[in-house]
Amino acid sequence: MKLIACTEGHSSKIEAFSLEMIAAARSLVEAGDEVVAFFAGAEADAASSLFGAADRLLVARASKSELIPAETYARLLRDVIDAEAPGLVLVPYSANGLDVAADIAARTGWPLISYVNEIKRDGDELTVVAQMYGGKILADCAVRLPAILMVNPGAFAEAAASPIDSAKVSMIDAEAVLAGGKVKMVDIDVPDYADVDLTKAERIVCVGRGIGDEASIDLARNLATLLGAEIAGSRPVVDNGWLPKLRQVGKSGQKVKPKLYLALGVSGAPEHLEGMSQADLIIAVNTDPKAPIFNVAHYGATCDLFDLVANLGDRLRAGSGR
Amino acid sequence: MNILVVLRMIPDSAGELQLAEDGRAIDREWLDFQLNDFDDHALEEAILLKEAGGAKVMAVAIGEGAKRVLQMAAARGADEVVALQSEEDAMISSREIAASIAAMARARSVDLVLCGVQSSEDVFGQLAPYVGALLDCPHVSGTNRIVANGAMLRVTQERGAGVAVTYELATPAVLGVQTASKAPRYVSGSKLREASKTPIGRATPEPSGFERSAEIITLRLPVQGGSGEILGDNADTVADRLVGILAAKGLARN
Ligand SMILES: Cc1cc2nc3c(=O)[nH]c(=O)nc-3n(C[C@H](O)[C@H](O)[C@H](O)COP(=O)(O)OP(=O)(O)OC[C@H]3O[C@@H](n4cnc5c(N)ncnc54)[C@H](O)[C@@H]3O)c2cc1C
Repeated sequence: MKLIACTEGHSSKIEAFSLEMIAAARSLVEAGDEVVAFFAGAEADAASSLFGAADRLLVARASKSELIPAETYARLLRDVIDAEAPGLVLVPYSANGLDVAADIAARTGWPLISYVNEIKRDGDELTVVAQMYGGKILADCAVRLPAILMVNPGAFAEAAASPIDSAKVSMIDAEAVLAGGKVKMVDIDVPDYADVDLTKAERIVCVGRGIGDEASIDLARNLATLLGAEIAGSRPVVDNGWLPKLRQVGKSGQKVKPKLYLALGVSGAPEHLEGMSQADLIIAVNTDPKAPIFNVAHYGATCDLFDLVANLGDRLRAGSGR
Repeated sequence: MNILVVLRMIPDSAGELQLAEDGRAIDREWLDFQLNDFDDHALEEAILLKEAGGAKVMAVAIGEGAKRVLQMAAARGADEVVALQSEEDAMISSREIAASIAAMARARSVDLVLCGVQSSEDVFGQLAPYVGALLDCPHVSGTNRIVANGAMLRVTQERGAGVAVTYELATPAVLGVQTASKAPRYVSGSKLREASKTPIGRATPEPSGFERSAEIITLRLPVQGGSGEILGDNADTVADRLVGILAAKGLARN
C-alpha cells in the first residue's frame, strides 16, 4: 500500500510539520508499503534536501509562485491520488490543509477524520484519536482504508531531516495547473518583526478571552512589566483589536518557546496549544478546571484571573521595592 | 449578489461537557447551545458585503436554538431566514449537511456561500471545502477580509506566523470565514423584537450522498493534568506559591 504524506512550504521555507506528516506515515507502514511525500511549490530543492525519510518524493514544481493556492494544491494532489492509488493520505491541519482535506474527501468519496492526534493501523482498518470541542473531548474513531486524515501539527515527532536520493524524486510540472487555477494569489504579507518578536521572548504573559474587555488588558500588561515579560494574546483578543496581530500566539500567530508562559483566561484550544505547548514553564490560570490548557500546564490555578493578577502584582511590587 | 450564510448551533464548550450513556456522543440534554463563533463572523461578513455593495442575504441555521439565532440574523440584516431541519440530539456533522447546503445554493442561484472556517463538531471534515467541492466552485478557508467588486472577490487569508495572503477569485465561490472584516455587531432589544416577526422558512435535509464514513467508537475526556500541579482556587495562596516557583527558577525579577 502507498501512504501519501502531504508536505508544504512557501516563501523559500518548508513548514516544520512536513517532517511530522512523513513520520506519521512511516509509523503506519506494513511490509511492502511505501511512504510517498507530496510537495507543491517552488522549494523543490529544499524539499529534496529534507525529506529523505520518505521512500519517494513527488514535487509539483511551480517556480514562478511564492505560494500555491490550496485549490491548485488540491487539484495536483488529486492527479497524484489517481496515479498512485494510495490507501491513506495524510494532510496537515494547516491553513492549506483546511481547504485540501475535505475537498479531496468530497471528490474521492473517501472518509475523512480531522484534528488527529494518534493513529493505529491493523491492515486496512485504522483507529484514530481526534480532538473535538476545543480539545475538551477526545474521539476514538474507526475508519476503513482508503481514507484521508487531517493531522494536528505537533502530534507526531518530526522525522529526521536528510536528503532524499535524487533517483527517488519525480518532478511534475505544476505551471499549467497553477495558470488554470480559479484562485489567484495576488499578495503575500509577511509581518515585520522589528517591533515585537514573541518567538525570541524569554517570558510571556498571554491573555485570553477570559480577560473580558480591552480596559483590563492593562492589568495584565502591568503584571507583564513586573515580570519583565512580553504581553501576548489568544486569537479572540487580537480579533477584537485589543492587542496587535504580531502579539497573537498559536496556529495563525506566533509559535513561541519562552522560559515562562503565563496564560490568563486562555482555554487552551488546540490551535492555541500549537503555538506554546513547548514553553519551558507553563502556568495557567482559568476558572474552568476542565479547560484543556491544564493538560499542558506545569502549574495550574483555578482562581479568578483578576484576583491572581492583583495578588501576584502586589507581591512582585513588594519584592522589587516598587 | 445572492449570499447564503450557514449558522450552526453547537454546544457551549466553555461549559461542562458530559458523555451520553452509550459513550458515543456528548449528553445534549442539559447543554447550552450557541451559534458557532466562526459562523457569527461569517454572518457579519455577509451583512458587511450587503452594506458595501448590495446583496441579498439568506441565513440558514441548523440545530437547537436555530429559531432564536435566525431572528438575531434578521435583526442584523439578513433578508431571508431558513431553518434546516436536523436530527434531534445528534451532532451536526459538516460532512452530512454539505449536500443540503449545496442543494440550497444551487436552487437559489447563490453566488457566495459563507460559513465559519470550522466548528467544534466537524471532526469528519469542514463545511466550506465540502460545499465548494460539491458545487465544483473555488473555496478559500480562514478568511479575515472579503471585498467584492461585482463578481470578483478579493479575499485575505490568515496563515501561520502572522502571514496574510490575498487571493482573487470569481463567484460562485464558498468561503470559510475565520474573522469578519469588523467585529460582529450588537443588536438592540427593540430591533430583536421587531425581527421576531420575520417568517422563518423551513428546509428538509438532503441525504449526504457519501457512501462511506468514519465512525466514532467512543468519546472520552483527556487525562487531566499530566505532570502538572494544580495550585487550587485561592488567589492568595496561588500567588504565594507562584512567587516561590518563579524565584526558584530565577524568573521572579526582571
Ligand atoms: C484555522 C484556525 C487558526 C486559529 N489560530 C489561532 C491562534 O493562532 N491563536 C489562538 O489563540 N487561537 C486560534 N484559533 C482559535 C481557537 O480555536 C480558539 O477559538 C481560541 O484559541 C480561543 O481563545 P481563548 O482561549 O482566549 O477563548 P475561550 O476559548 O473563550 O476561553 C476563555 C477562557 O477564559 C476562562 N475565563 C473566563 N473568565 C475568567 C476569569 N475571570 N478568570 C479566569 N479564567 C476565566 C474560561 O473558563 C475559558 O476557558 C484558530 C482557529 C482556527 C480554526
